[in-house]
Amino acid sequence: MKEILTALRRTPYQSLAVFSSLFLSLFLSLLLVFCLNFLYGLLGYVESRPQVTIYFQNETTETSIIGVKNDLEKTGMVESVKYISKNDAFTLYKDANKDNPLLLEMVSPDVLPASLEIFAKKPAYLPQIADRLNRVTGKDEVSFQKNVVDKLLSLTAVIRTLSLGFFVFLMATTSIVLMTITHFKVALKKDEIELLRLMGASAGYVRKPFMQQALFLGFVSATVVYGLFAGVLFLLYPAMQGYLSGITQLLIDLGPYQLAVWPITPLYAGALYMGLTLFGMGIAAFATYFATHKYLAIQRN
Amino acid sequence: MIQFENVTKSYPLGTIALEDVSFVIEPNEFTFLVGTSGAGKTTILNLILGYLYPNSGTVIVDDMDISSKKSKKIEELRRHIGVVFQDFKVLQDKNVFENIALGLSIQELPIKKIKEDVREVLNLVGLESKEQYFPVQLSAGELQRVAIARAMCGDRHIILADEPTGNLDPKTTWDIMKIFKKVENTKTIIIATHNTDVVNSMKKRVLVLKKGRLIKDMKKGGYEL
Repeated sequence: MKEILTALRRTPYQSLAVFSSLFLSLFLSLLLVFCLNFLYGLLGYVESRPQVTIYFQNETTETSIIGVKNDLEKTGMVESVKYISKNDAFTLYKDANKDNPLLLEMVSPDVLPASLEIFAKKPAYLPQIADRLNRVTGKDEVSFQKNVVDKLLSLTAVIRTLSLGFFVFLMATTSIVLMTITHFKVALKKDEIELLRLMGASAGYVRKPFMQQALFLGFVSATVVYGLFAGVLFLLYPAMQGYLSGITQLLIDLGPYQLAVWPITPLYAGALYMGLTLFGMGIAAFATYFATHKYLAIQRN
Repeated sequence: MIQFENVTKSYPLGTIALEDVSFVIEPNEFTFLVGTSGAGKTTILNLILGYLYPNSGTVIVDDMDISSKKSKKIEELRRHIGVVFQDFKVLQDKNVFENIALGLSIQELPIKKIKEDVREVLNLVGLESKEQYFPVQLSAGELQRVAIARAMCGDRHIILADEPTGNLDPKTTWDIMKIFKKVENTKTIIIATHNTDVVNSMKKRVLVLKKGRLIKDMKKGGYEL
């Protein structure tokens, strides 16, 4: 550690340039990842709400409604269908308005329609399901969140594409900057490297101090970025809690697991820090490896 | 053992540096390479060090054939060779101890062993009181001693010296040669030099080169061109 700090102190401007470059890239990367995770969590949340609801006319019998439910389940497009009878609807209404006796007095089970709440397997199936329900005899109204889901889906796709492009550009720029700075540092040590190679030092031995410095700067940059980001988030957290008050939890799918991204859990915070640190150290090591590679081949004329 | 067998080396622009040179240097032998500038002395040292490879012929060092351009053994071989340059090549940002320890740290030896070996070789070259000095604080003769100590430290049993006394006054030259004499029976030493007095008085093996050809090989020779 002492050797790393000494080496960094002896090349202060290069070290600062590496730190700044890594800081900027890691901060933007963390922001992108955080926003994307949040957006995916939000999309998952919206998808988990009843996506299509069909309300039936008063005279429609329960048998007909169950028939519609069975038909829908046979299509293979729906994840589940929930039947809400008039009585169920009344119970829900009472629960929702228990603090308002006036509203409760005015409503009886007969007034409220029976309905089916349908959850599609994919958002893409929603228009087909809605079309099908619009043709059902005895329907009163079909409520369909198409616009919300479509907008969220297209927004996610756009952000994902733009983020990926921006991310690639960011990484390429950072790598080039880091490689250029490391080239410069290697050039300053050219005599020593040449001597070491003449004395039989392996490429790994010569590369080691450059790698150690890069990994150290990657770690420090990631930690500083994370600290700053956490500070900003801490300040914004009450406002976000207020804005998202109706949402109890946002989850993202990670294959067999689900990770809660809202409210921010220690696991999610830890995963972000771990990922950011590994990423920072990885990109610094990658750039250093390629920057030193050219100088370390044994030249035989 | 170092063996050159019909070695020819030419440079890209067609200059022939060595032509059909053959010789064998036994372990722990002390050899001078003499000849005018451009005769091929440094080329021989560079071929032994694996810095160059021959256009034809065979170069064998420590039973390793390093004639091929893509020889994989160069790094390993170089860990057994110490090199002394005319311009010392002492690193300015490292002190005497650190400069000498370079060759040992490459072998990733324990710190304790490095300290022992460096102090031993510092005694040999007479710089035991200056291990914390930086190169700017040393004279030319002392710098060359540091370079020699670095070349001799550790498991380096072949010492190649290219004009080691070229920049030194006569008295310092003799001090340096005395260091080489101290280890002459424990290491193979090859010195390329123009210094007539040194070669004549040491009475060691002399290989005389002229325009890339080995023209004389004297067991206890003097400086002849």
